[in-house]
Amino acid sequence: MGKEEILKKLAEATVLGDVEMAVSYAKRAIEAGIDAYEAIMNGCAEGMRIVSEKYEKGEMYVPEILCSAEAMYAAMEILRPYLKAESIGERKKIVLGVVRGDIHDIGKNLVKLMLEAAGFQVIDLGKDVPNEKFIEMAIKENADIVGLSALMTTSMVVMPEVIKEIKKRNPKIKTIVGGGPLSPELAKLYGADGYGKDASEAVKVAKSLVGG
Amino acid sequence: MIERMTSMERMIAVLTGQKPDRIPVNPFILGFAAKICEIPIGDLYANAKKSFRAQLLCAEMYGYDSTPMYAYASFGAWEFGGEIGFPYEPGQSAPYIIKHPVETPEDVDKLEVPDPKKAGSIPIAMELAKLCYENKMPVVFQVGEVLTTAANIAEPARLLSWMIRKPDVVHKLNKKVAEFFIEVAKYFTSTFGADKCMAFTGGPIESNKLISAKQFEKFVYPYMKQIHSKVLELGVNIILEHPCSDQNANLPYYVKLREELNWKGKYVWAFGPETPLEKQIECFGKYDVIMGNVDPPSFQFKSFEEVLLLCKDNIERGIKNPSGYILGVGCELPPLSPPINVYALIKAAREYGSFK
Ligand code: B1M
Repeated sequence: MGKEEILKKLAEATVLGDVEMAVSYAKRAIEAGIDAYEAIMNGCAEGMRIVSEKYEKGEMYVPEILCSAEAMYAAMEILRPYLKAESIGERKKIVLGVVRGDIHDIGKNLVKLMLEAAGFQVIDLGKDVPNEKFIEMAIKENADIVGLSALMTTSMVVMPEVIKEIKKRNPKIKTIVGGGPLSPELAKLYGADGYGKDASEAVKVAKSLVGG
Repeated sequence: MIERMTSMERMIAVLTGQKPDRIPVNPFILGFAAKICEIPIGDLYANAKKSFRAQLLCAEMYGYDSTPMYAYASFGAWEFGGEIGFPYEPGQSAPYIIKHPVETPEDVDKLEVPDPKKAGSIPIAMELAKLCYENKMPVVFQVGEVLTTAANIAEPARLLSWMIRKPDVVHKLNKKVAEFFIEVAKYFTSTFGADKCMAFTGGPIESNKLISAKQFEKFVYPYMKQIHSKVLELGVNIILEHPCSDQNANLPYYVKLREELNWKGKYVWAFGPETPLEKQIECFGKYDVIMGNVDPPSFQFKSFEEVLLLCKDNIERGIKNPSGYILGVGCELPPLSPPINVYALIKAAREYGSFK
């Protein structure tokens, strides 16, 4: 089986959420001498891109996506030890969480998944995250980006405070916001550097901000 | 307009197919009532007396027509042995789950259907219900939705992936949840009499933002039908059903439910803003009441004039329902809404929803 076909099957296994198939094609990729980074990007991440597209079109739902995530992580576990330092370069770091008072974390978890598939190192602070925790972790981890998610109009109002404090402590750290009630206009008003409508847009914006 | 009816008379008129003096208003206010009464939102969920008082005073002050009730979306986790937190910290607006009682399929096997008299928040709900009863108001108790409750018990992502990987485990859990809700219904109806009770149900995990219509059919419909049949059989005549968020793809199953129950009882449909009123009237208009679905975030962010226009539009469309309409909001009214915007609901009902 040729390289292109193995990568295609790896993407397919991710879309299908087939863990066994994903593991098997990850192993084949290594055996065939395919660069692990390429296998992740053009196999697993490509699969997740398709998944995300299908979700937006209403062709896939969250239960299926969670299975795709399982398949992707299983394949990545096989591939990761073979990653060459020069092919990954310096992984960009993103501190991610759902703001204080908000426990809606399903969307944030999808954003995390897509960011990891795209090669970002995600430090997941979880849900109902106090403002101070975002700030503390952003500085401690020397993050490239801080991603704030909120699903409620009542909870998103803390975002400007967090963004302002992070910028004060380290103006180089970029910030991205997202979640149902946010919009590009609100993101701007809140002082964020970027806004992601959905998980794949969040990745695009993150890449454009730090060149990840 | 001069109001010729009390709130109770107005609600009863709509629920029994009569014309009220004006359309009633049920703004789905919970946390906002606490804000208005300057008590922590936590008290609205943790303290029945304070909750009752805040909800009652808020309704009296604005002149809207709904009566106090006890319900929250994270229901189930505490009742089945987990842990929740009440929203006492700044920024928090509703109870949140600290520990889910189920982590493994084996936990589902071991899970016991709790005694409703002691389970989690039910004693608080019961205390609030008693205050309603003593004040001659309807008693409202929560009976779902099943999948949302199961997700609160087992953690949403875990439950959603089990729907594909371990469907039997989900069915096993749903069965226990349905059994529990039936016990809750028996507890409330035997305490107050079914004719004094209304059932409330609804949930966000059933939303088509998360699951497909096919998954709804498989994992929600059978249990929903089981609970509703039992509640009606116990003699409860009114069910307030809130399909939260976008449930347009599930609509055929809600219609099927009513058909299979022979349109027994009176349903009040409180869909999210994603479901056009015209579509709801087409589906349920012959028998059931439709509750309005003005967009919730607009109350927090738009001007009074804009909100008034949204309410007017909702009334003009909803009033066409042959079986009655109540002006309402598509989900909980955001607690941080400017107080004047809530007045837009009442003003709109009086100006655009009065009957001669
Ligand atoms: C950093 O950069 C980025 C970039 C992009 C980002 C991003 C970050 N974060 C998200 N994105 C984006 O990418 C993701 C993937 O494409 C997307 O994420 P989403 O999260 O949008 O999409 C997910 C894949 C699927 N969507 C979801 O998971 C959310 C669905 C809805 C139906 C929803 C759910 C499921 C739940 N809820 Co609730 N819930 C609703 C939601 C309705 C809605 N319209 O969103 C909403 C958010 N809830 C609401 C409410 C009121 C509540 N809920 C509550 C509870 C719950 C459940 C726990 C039952 C459950 C959440 C379970 C969980 N662990 O996540 C309560 C609050 C609990 C709390 N303390 O936080 C409670 C307050 C109800 C109550 N009184 O108890 C409403 C908020 C209204 C408002 N004021 O804004 C609501 C909009 C429903 C409605 N129709 O009104 C994008 O937004």
